[in-house]
Amino acid sequence: MKRWLGVALGIVTSVGGFLEIGSITTAAQAGAEYKYQLAWTIVLGTICIGLLIEMAGRFAAVSKHTIADAMRERFGLHFFMVPLILIFFVSLLVLAAEIGGVAVSIELVTGVHFPVWALPSALLAWGLLWYGTFSIIENGISLLGLITIAFVVAGVQLGIDWHGLGAGLLPSMPHKEPAHYWFIAVSILGASVSPYLFYFYSSGAIEEKWDEKNLAPNRVIAAIGMGFGGFLSVAVLVVAALVFAPRGIKVEEYRQLPMLLSTSWGRTGFAIFAGSLFITCLGATAEIALALAYKIAQGFGWNWGEDLAPSDDARFSLTYTVILLVAALLEVVGIDPLKLTTLSMALTAASLPVAIVPFLVLMNDRKYLGDHTNGWLGNLAILIISLLAGVVAVVSIPLEIVGGS
Amino acid sequence: MKVLLVRDVLDNQLLDASNENAGKVDGIVLELRQGEPPRVGYIEVGPITMARRLNRRLGNWVARFDAKFGEGRGVPIRIAMSRITLDEPSLRLDVVADKTPIMALERWLRRAIVCRIPWS
Repeated sequence: MKRWLGVALGIVTSVGGFLEIGSITTAAQAGAEYKYQLAWTIVLGTICIGLLIEMAGRFAAVSKHTIADAMRERFGLHFFMVPLILIFFVSLLVLAAEIGGVAVSIELVTGVHFPVWALPSALLAWGLLWYGTFSIIENGISLLGLITIAFVVAGVQLGIDWHGLGAGLLPSMPHKEPAHYWFIAVSILGASVSPYLFYFYSSGAIEEKWDEKNLAPNRVIAAIGMGFGGFLSVAVLVVAALVFAPRGIKVEEYRQLPMLLSTSWGRTGFAIFAGSLFITCLGATAEIALALAYKIAQGFGWNWGEDLAPSDDARFSLTYTVILLVAALLEVVGIDPLKLTTLSMALTAASLPVAIVPFLVLMNDRKYLGDHTNGWLGNLAILIISLLAGVVAVVSIPLEIVGGS
Repeated sequence: MKVLLVRDVLDNQLLDASNENAGKVDGIVLELRQGEPPRVGYIEVGPITMARRLNRRLGNWVARFDAKFGEGRGVPIRIAMSRITLDEPSLRLDVVADKTPIMALERWLRRAIVCRIPWS
């Protein structure tokens, strides 16, 4: 009974923790410019992250290794450093974007420009990590994130074009600006399939001492939790298609984003949007900083654990402290959070093959997983999605930067 | 039991006698003996060996930096192979690492920074 209560909590927190500045921004841009046409990328990204999260949980429960630990052990130091460095720099940009999201949400309420709030936002996330526990980060903040269900309510109220949405669930070629279309498509994939998510999830499974009894709950949480999470992303796209597209508005600055909810509900909608952005980005900030510190500590064999006192894992605790500080400084200098978000999501997509292919090799290694290795269908789906995302991102990022179409 | 050095020892996790993480095995030192086959003498742990594996210059720089922290520092940390046992999925040391040079940086960071932050 207790285990299934845990499943329910896992599903709820997966839903509440799904949205963050990356998924909100990229879905809003997609809806504003291409209406429902890019909904299929959210579905694809959600399937991919659902599969990866299930694999990450299964890997930790069966092998008792975290992914970073096993990657170093299996491939050696030189190979381990490649995804470590790549994921570190890309995730640092994503982290800066999330801190920017928290700071923007405070700007929306106070009117004081976001760079002023970057360091206090990072300090708040640091306080949660330093003084809090894994359960506070995973459950507490994610439960508050259920406020994002407001996007579903707004979409239903505004009147969804079900036929258009249904057509958007199937991939189609763009009727304008193809380079920009593919850039947004890979940004959505990058926002959905962030590598930090499965490093965080597998570390959490070790922190919570999962074993093979957790395999079935893990499958349910990954499928239902991520499925409903993806549904929230689709809701943001739908609301953007209903709010921005008819008015010919492109999402080019973050101050436009509250319109998603204020169009329906006025000042209350504005406040709900600011609250959603604050909670979801704060949660993502804590998770990314933690995930990066996990990866470094596990790869180098240090003591680590969000539930340990910082004095028991000083190197680990100071690693996430420095990471938060560096990422916050990127926002202190005033880098536009919206541009940083879009670029960092596309870069995440470009890094996916490097992050995912070694993980797939681990998932097929009987030394770690015994009889619980991957099936061919899961392998093939993840391999194709990550390789395609990587290739399309590498092609579309330069085109987007030089303004080609 | 057959142990493959690169697969089962190098880059594997070390646990100490109190079950705490004591780093990864960053290097393996073989002893060459006259007229006899080589023997595994030591493992090496710590940033100097790790950095040297990546790049010799980087390793030398890390060693010079480490030497500033006191006598006996600035050289790789070596542990005799006889003090290590295989304890799947890790390798186990027969000492508590917190009292050894393996945890020197951890101890220094704890004392110099973490303990000065209120309620840590």
